[in-house]
Amino acid sequence: MFGYRLKLEEELLERSKKCAEASGYSSLDEFLLHTIEKEVTRLLGPGEGGPETPEEVRKRLQGLGYIE
Amino acid sequence: MPRRSRIQGGSRDRAWRFALLLALLAGGTLLSCQRSREPGPGEHKLVILGIDGMDPQLLRQYMQEGKMPHFSALAAQGSFRSLTTSIPPQSPVAWSNLITGMDAGGHGIFDFIHRDPGTMQAQFSTSRVEPPRHRLRLGSWVLPLGGGEARQLRRGRAFWEILDEHGVPATVFRIPANFPPVPSGARTFAGMGTPDLRGTYGTFYFYTDDPTAPSGAVEGGEIIPVEVRDWQVAAKLPGPDNPFRRETRPAEIPFRVSLDPVAPVAKFALQDKEFVLQEGEWSDWVRVEFTLLPGLVSVRGICRFYLKQAHPRFQLYVSPVNIDPRDPALPISTPKAYSRQLTEEVGEFYTQGIAEDTKALSDGVLDDKEYLEQAREVLAEQRRIFDAEFPKFRSGTFFFYFSSLDLNAHMLWRLTDPHHPAYNAEAATRYSTVLSEFYQQMDQVLGQVMSRLDDHTTLLVLSDHGFAPYNRSFNLNTWLLNNGYITLKPGANPEEGEYFAAVDWSRTRAYGLGLNGLYLNLRGRERDGTVPPGEAEAVLTEISQRLLAVRDPASNAPVITRVDRAATAYHGPYAKTGPDLIVGYNRGYRAGWKTILGAFPREVLEDNTNAWSGDHCMDFTLVPGLLLSNRKIPAEAPALTDIAPTILAEFGIPQPEGMMGRSVFDSRRTSVRK
Repeated sequence: MFGYRLKLEEELLERSKKCAEASGYSSLDEFLLHTIEKEVTRLLGPGEGGPETPEEVRKRLQGLGYIE
Repeated sequence: MPRRSRIQGGSRDRAWRFALLLALLAGGTLLSCQRSREPGPGEHKLVILGIDGMDPQLLRQYMQEGKMPHFSALAAQGSFRSLTTSIPPQSPVAWSNLITGMDAGGHGIFDFIHRDPGTMQAQFSTSRVEPPRHRLRLGSWVLPLGGGEARQLRRGRAFWEILDEHGVPATVFRIPANFPPVPSGARTFAGMGTPDLRGTYGTFYFYTDDPTAPSGAVEGGEIIPVEVRDWQVAAKLPGPDNPFRRETRPAEIPFRVSLDPVAPVAKFALQDKEFVLQEGEWSDWVRVEFTLLPGLVSVRGICRFYLKQAHPRFQLYVSPVNIDPRDPALPISTPKAYSRQLTEEVGEFYTQGIAEDTKALSDGVLDDKEYLEQAREVLAEQRRIFDAEFPKFRSGTFFFYFSSLDLNAHMLWRLTDPHHPAYNAEAATRYSTVLSEFYQQMDQVLGQVMSRLDDHTTLLVLSDHGFAPYNRSFNLNTWLLNNGYITLKPGANPEEGEYFAAVDWSRTRAYGLGLNGLYLNLRGRERDGTVPPGEAEAVLTEISQRLLAVRDPASNAPVITRVDRAATAYHGPYAKTGPDLIVGYNRGYRAGWKTILGAFPREVLEDNTNAWSGDHCMDFTLVPGLLLSNRKIPAEAPALTDIAPTILAEFGIPQPEGMMGRSVFDSRRTSVRK
């Protein structure tokens, strides 16, 4: 619903593209998002998003057949 | 993203038509490339049949028995190769390799089950459905502010996204690991990983008045006790949790069953529908609507009823409530309208990712005969959809997925192998040939495709992995406990509790999670990590050597034939986010049912007596998939990661950086890949 647009200066953009390519990311967007995710997690800890309990995870996964 | 021209020298007519297409798109007119553009003369086409779990050994056996004439013809005309599968050989990993042309280091899918090292929470690997973050509470009601989100967790770009960027139309039906479908101009339908309406991967319901039947939650379902009074049953069908209520409880639809006192028949009434079922009869799809906010918000689903028994006991099976493809509550197709269009053409169909109700069979709610009725209907639906969609294919790529061989090899292996712990001779006399019958249906589909091939069409038939018996369970976490890598809390009973509840993380060095994953409890990575990074290599080497030395006392066979290091197996930016070791089990062995989610059964090794009796989550070199084509394949050892490059090369599209494979038709590929 809400987003954020980021403008990068030419030099940083080019360097970011090189990093994305060298690291094997499939796109510049993916590299930038993953880098920001890692840094935010490092600084603030794991995000919100309502972690499920182990029981909830087990119930969700049981339908796959591979687990009991 | 701007479309790149794929003008090839000498074709002005094609260039003009492509320029016109660009102009129309720039003007905001929505066009479906497949429907609005007639193929040019000689324009190349690609058809891919993705048959999950088709095993090269079984296929060769059935070919030799004369049961697969079209596969035999295709192999003779073109090529038949083994196809190196993923590490580990699990469907979400394997199909992600195919989709992106990368291994797990590039697409980030390592197993069905991942964990967050910061919280140690387990999670499904390929998608997540998240509720709205902000809500307004009014008394007993909760009003979400903004919508929730279904997130696709696979990284990298799908081959059809790249095709779309180059103006090549694509239809991709039910490829796994594509829920929610990535946005693109391609016609796609989500497959494995799509939840049911309750957000699970399939929860059935079983209603019975049998007082001896267990009640409550069972694996993959719920047993709901009911009473028969004056030949009437009043029951409720559970739906999704109502997010608008403060207390968490599912929305419900009441329904009534009127039993005939003498004949084995019953009339069902729910919402505005009535239907009659004989004992042993399945209903058609029944559309249901759950009211979440009266007069304002409701969500639709579909389900099927099976009257297992009317007398003397009432027994009713209801399928998981699937997302209604006519009016999907979650994104399951691109474009969004494709789902409704398909439903209007072929009728309702299973939308949950794994439609075959294997848990109902494992639980004994459905017997072999009943399970096979349901499984055959799943394939019949897929074939109806194939019959509707394939004739429309005019240009670009057509990919169609079939699940039946995989799920039915899982469930029926025990009836083909007298050595299996769950072998039943009486059932085997009736059902031991059923798996070959499913293979023969794939041969019929192939025949339909081959009848339409022309000189400009490349055909690929492939599978993501093969199959092997699953006779014995190896409880990895129990082994780690017994060998000093896991320590439990004082006084804890290892056989009680789930998901590492009894583990003392401050004195634990490694743990197993998922079907093949082993993780170090690494300091600086795991929440309560203990292994210093400088000691990681030594611990991994020690564990690997000890695992490879494990022998089954029942047979002296090695239990584990291969242990891969993530550092060498994976390539890409996500290589370090998955397990540190990938445990490759020998044929006949797999991770035990309870160890997968962090429990500690008493025995390290035990017989698998579950109806789920065949598997592929083993040493990847022991369960290769297969690849056939109507063209000669120079590559002697193609891999799943070669398929996306092959698809792009068929249309002259350069392979992006990061895709690690090469086209299987590349004439330079005549040596075995290391």
